[in-house]
Amino acid sequence: MPDLIIVHLYADLLRTYGDRGNVLALARRAEWRRFSVRVDEVSVGQPLPRGPGLILIGGGTDRVQGAISTDLLARRSQLLEATRAGAVLVGICGGYQLLGRRYVTADGTPLEGLGLLDIETTGSSGGHRIIGRVRARASLWGRGFELVGFENHGGRTSLGPDALPLARVRKGRGNNGVDRGEGAVQGSVVGTYLHGPVLPSNPRLADSLLGRALAARIGESRLEGLDDELEDRAHADARSLRR
Amino acid sequence: MVRGFALTASKLSRTLRLGAGTSVPGLIVQRLDPGYLRRRAGALEAAVVVSGTNGKTTTTAMIDAILTEQGIPTISNPSGANLFRGVATAIVHDLPPGPIGVFEVDEGALERLVPALRPTVLVLTNVFRDQLDRFGEPETVARLLQAAARRLPEGTTVVANADDPLLWHLVADLGAVGFGVRWAGVTPALRTGGEPEICPRCGGTLRYSRRTMAHLGAAACSGCGWSSSAPMYEVVLRGPMRLGPMPAQIDGMRFVLQASGVSNAYNAAAAIAAADAIGVGPWRSRRALERFQPRFGRGEALEFGDATVWLMLTKNPAGAAAVVAQVAADQGIGAVVVAVSDGWADGRDISWIWDADFECLASRRLPIVASGRRASDVAVRLKYAGANPMAVHPDPVAAISAATECAGAGGDIVVLATYTAMLDVRHALLGSRTARVANQQA
Repeated sequence: MPDLIIVHLYADLLRTYGDRGNVLALARRAEWRRFSVRVDEVSVGQPLPRGPGLILIGGGTDRVQGAISTDLLARRSQLLEATRAGAVLVGICGGYQLLGRRYVTADGTPLEGLGLLDIETTGSSGGHRIIGRVRARASLWGRGFELVGFENHGGRTSLGPDALPLARVRKGRGNNGVDRGEGAVQGSVVGTYLHGPVLPSNPRLADSLLGRALAARIGESRLEGLDDELEDRAHADARSLRR
Repeated sequence: MVRGFALTASKLSRTLRLGAGTSVPGLIVQRLDPGYLRRRAGALEAAVVVSGTNGKTTTTAMIDAILTEQGIPTISNPSGANLFRGVATAIVHDLPPGPIGVFEVDEGALERLVPALRPTVLVLTNVFRDQLDRFGEPETVARLLQAAARRLPEGTTVVANADDPLLWHLVADLGAVGFGVRWAGVTPALRTGGEPEICPRCGGTLRYSRRTMAHLGAAACSGCGWSSSAPMYEVVLRGPMRLGPMPAQIDGMRFVLQASGVSNAYNAAAAIAAADAIGVGPWRSRRALERFQPRFGRGEALEFGDATVWLMLTKNPAGAAAVVAQVAADQGIGAVVVAVSDGWADGRDISWIWDADFECLASRRLPIVASGRRASDVAVRLKYAGANPMAVHPDPVAAISAATECAGAGGDIVVLATYTAMLDVRHALLGSRTARVANQQA
């Protein structure tokens, strides 16, 4: 069995925002540290592998999210069991919304979510999307760092008492455009609206997720440093983009 | 009066180097007299409107070339000037007698332009993920195209891509004429960069019996029984994929497309279907297409010192997948430049570069240079693709110079560039940023 199994859930369907880049960032950064990695793409009707270390769900359009929701809800107990065993579960944009308790569409129809994050998302009336660049200060499992990315979502997300925001936005709108929160964290479950994809140009977030997953799987908690010159440059450049 | 003032503005705009002189008079017409465009459009013999995500400019130019070769007078809007004012500008200029208008129209501008132009033929090329920050989701674009098709006057022909399930499903009931592309023999499937493949009617899983690029092909739903229609106009590709001329076939007639790649085969199929709708048959279209040279960054070959530089406009993952496969298959390529900028015309969200299969270029050990306004993001993408050697030069000339050094003698350079990055490359190599489609003839 490899040191780390990364599951990319619905890689073929929830793939609107370069989500493959997030998986690639996690896999390469583990391999460059000489951990053995296997990436499993799991789609509708296919079983989850045993012992996943990291599970990633990307973003998709409403139409596609509708097409996978039944399959996803049927996996609830398995996902809960995996996170209890220490697996890190990451949802991006649409995937983030699906991790929540529920999603209420713009016309008021409530759709059940996985309930692994104490969040609720409401579709915006009038179809106004939150679109633009984001700079935010993240706080994740005791470590602080800066995040840069791009947000593009119609839903407004609010956090319940069991979830903490992943970050505070300095530029951009975040979860709902009101409380400056961006994303959510609850135990080893993490959600964010940030695209970019977010992990390649935010290597500290990638390494935090990797570190936690590897600690749970093989007890390895310290990750050696990598040459991040290019990643840091992309991060700094994204930071200075005006619009 | 309105027209005289607008034309002066066009000259002034060019003199002051405000732009290519393509849109300013139209802007004035739009402000002064909104009914003007509709009245001017009445002087057209017929109008063809081309819209969709990819291939608008080339399809428009191909239809224009086909009609021109028949001696039919045409007017057209310059590449990229595809919003209301760009089309208005084209109509402000002197019209030849009895012209056919051939216009590319931005998906977001269809709503205003279709009622004004009252086209006789509406060509819908495809729907790919592109400029998510402008349009939101591909489904939104598909609905814009559908709404335009439903707003057409009686007797109009809708020509649509029968290989695009999402798009075709929305217009099939309007009696749309379908076009498509097929590979003769084995199918090199270009899967990466595609849209999710779910049934446009029930959301079930689609199964493909043939496939050309991304989500384009013939599909059927195992759930509800929906299936693609056989295209009435089908271009069959017969040769290996490479840059340069490409052997093809339509209605059993062989021809050679100067504009290579699967995307251009779709553009040709669309142009042949549109031309037939206004009375120019495939046999004659085919001859015009044999002489049609790729232009304005769509597979255009430019000279740089002793090297040939292929300029390939690459705006979204599906287009990138097609170009990357073409480049990887061509043994004459010595180095690649990937130039990504994020101006308004490019889309500010460049996440799609992670869906392009740069791994297959890296595995060929082709030297790659990251360039453009977002060169550092491209560099990270290439690093994770395993590209080696790799260099970073935001400036296009520095990037192309570095690429020619890596390529050595005899190796061509391919530049994959987003829209504004492509303008920068052309400006640097040709000394002109003009957005006018060059009037070149082979």
